Amino acid sequence: MRSKEAGALTGEGRVREHSSAAVAGKYWAVFRTQLLNSLAYPIDLLGRSLLIVLFMWIFMNLWRVTYGAVGASSIAGLTLADTMWYLMMAEAVMLSKHDLSETFSEQVKDGSVAYLLNKPFNFILYHFASGLGDSLLAFGGNLLIGSAVVWLMVGPPPGIAGWIFAGAAVVLSWLLDFCFSALIGLSAFVVEETNAFRWIYQKFLLLLGGVLIPLDFFPAWLQTISLNLPFAWIIYGPARLFVEPSLARLGHVFLQQCIWLAVVGGIVWVIYRRVVARLVINGG
Amino acid sequence: MGRQLSFVVALWKTNLLSAMEYRVSFLTQVIGMMLNNAIYFVFWIIFFARFEEINGWDLVDMLFLFGVVATGFGAGTYLFGNSVRLSSLIANGQMDYYLSLPRPVLLHALASRSNASSAGDFTYGLFSFGAAIYFSGSFGGLMLLRFTLGCLASIVVLISFLVLVQSLTFWIGNTSLLTRHAFNAIVTFSLYPITLFDGTAKLFLFTLVPAAFIGALPAEFVRRFDLLQLAQICAGGAVFLVLAVFVFYRGLRRYESGSAIQVRM
Repeated sequence: MRSKEAGALTGEGRVREHSSAAVAGKYWAVFRTQLLNSLAYPIDLLGRSLLIVLFMWIFMNLWRVTYGAVGASSIAGLTLADTMWYLMMAEAVMLSKHDLSETFSEQVKDGSVAYLLNKPFNFILYHFASGLGDSLLAFGGNLLIGSAVVWLMVGPPPGIAGWIFAGAAVVLSWLLDFCFSALIGLSAFVVEETNAFRWIYQKFLLLLGGVLIPLDFFPAWLQTISLNLPFAWIIYGPARLFVEPSLARLGHVFLQQCIWLAVVGGIVWVIYRRVVARLVINGG
Repeated sequence: MGRQLSFVVALWKTNLLSAMEYRVSFLTQVIGMMLNNAIYFVFWIIFFARFEEINGWDLVDMLFLFGVVATGFGAGTYLFGNSVRLSSLIANGQMDYYLSLPRPVLLHALASRSNASSAGDFTYGLFSFGAAIYFSGSFGGLMLLRFTLGCLASIVVLISFLVLVQSLTFWIGNTSLLTRHAFNAIVTFSLYPITLFDGTAKLFLFTLVPAAFIGALPAEFVRRFDLLQLAQICAGGAVFLVLAVFVFYRGLRRYESGSAIQVRM
């Protein structure tokens, strides 16, 4: 299998084509570099993860009072401990995802995109590999600190299956989130200001994705709408899988994530090819 | 005092004229931020539709809270836009410009920049206050006065807190992470009902992270007059303002110039 985009100019000016393994190796190197870069500052990494303590403390106060007011040990099938572990996983995914839309739009606005586009790698895949390296470590830090705090508050976490299933689903979550980030970032080719799109997307994740509240607590009509949108499969899917792991649920989460990846990823690809073809760079 | 006021007003006018050069961008950010806040508030609509009230707080209380916090936060960070990036100005030696001019350094530095998105927060806050009046069914000239006073107190405490935290840059160097956490903490805590928190947590919210002075306390005061709350709001604002100014100018003695050539346009 040959890849056209992997072609690179050799010293003699001939186009040399690489195998798929070489292409994967290239992005692996980008991922590894970012990973090592983040590992070089462990204190900074742990410091960034402290935010999850704040959120977990507020959630604990909110839901302890709410469960107490309702006077029931479970709401929509979730106990207080389930809710807190769900929120911990949801926050860990949310806080560790690497928002590339800002980087994208800055590079488009200041013209530095020109220097990246003529490099022998794909602009989109380069950013994904780089962002993944950062997200992986941030996720580890958030899980470590978040779990310690929630364990102290409500007791031990769900079983090992929850960790494995949720961990697998989180990788697809990042990929799906990355597609949205790319879409927002690429919009800088068309509109002047992309911040508004970014804020609104983040709020959709907080609300319809289930970061602030498990979707199970929604009224039925809103739950149906949320589950038919991609945001739920970025956050709710892995977090719910974490507290109630089952093969059937895992299959359902994967299926939804793959469907939305095909849809949103396809849109990103089409738009990327169009805007790059139309790109005009002035100056030097 | 009058001269300083007219100087600050002139700065605000310049900032507005500068923003108007990019009208579409300005409006996009304002409308975007309003939508952003509205979507966030839907969480509380869903929450109270299911649980009705928590420790005496209901949806109308949340509308008052969002009204005060968003208006105060929006006005504060719009008029004193550099309050969110003071630490980078200090760390990068960019205070030279303000030090070289015969104007109060802190005031000049803070008011030299405006954030377009903050105008969206401000407008959203007014809408939220309007909705709170509509749903509570109570309104009067005195409530408007209390709202203005509550928002002013909120602005003073918020900006003072941000200055206080970022002034630590003078002593410990890079505080970008601390600033980010402090900013997130004060905004997040101020948007939750204070009745969720017990005694120790409340002490924390009135002192170390004074979110209660930015949200819950002025919001309760707006809803109904209470002399004790008025005294608390005024005292809180005065204490944090004096502390912020004192710590900033104390730290400024340790400031090291960046010696960089800076061009301001």
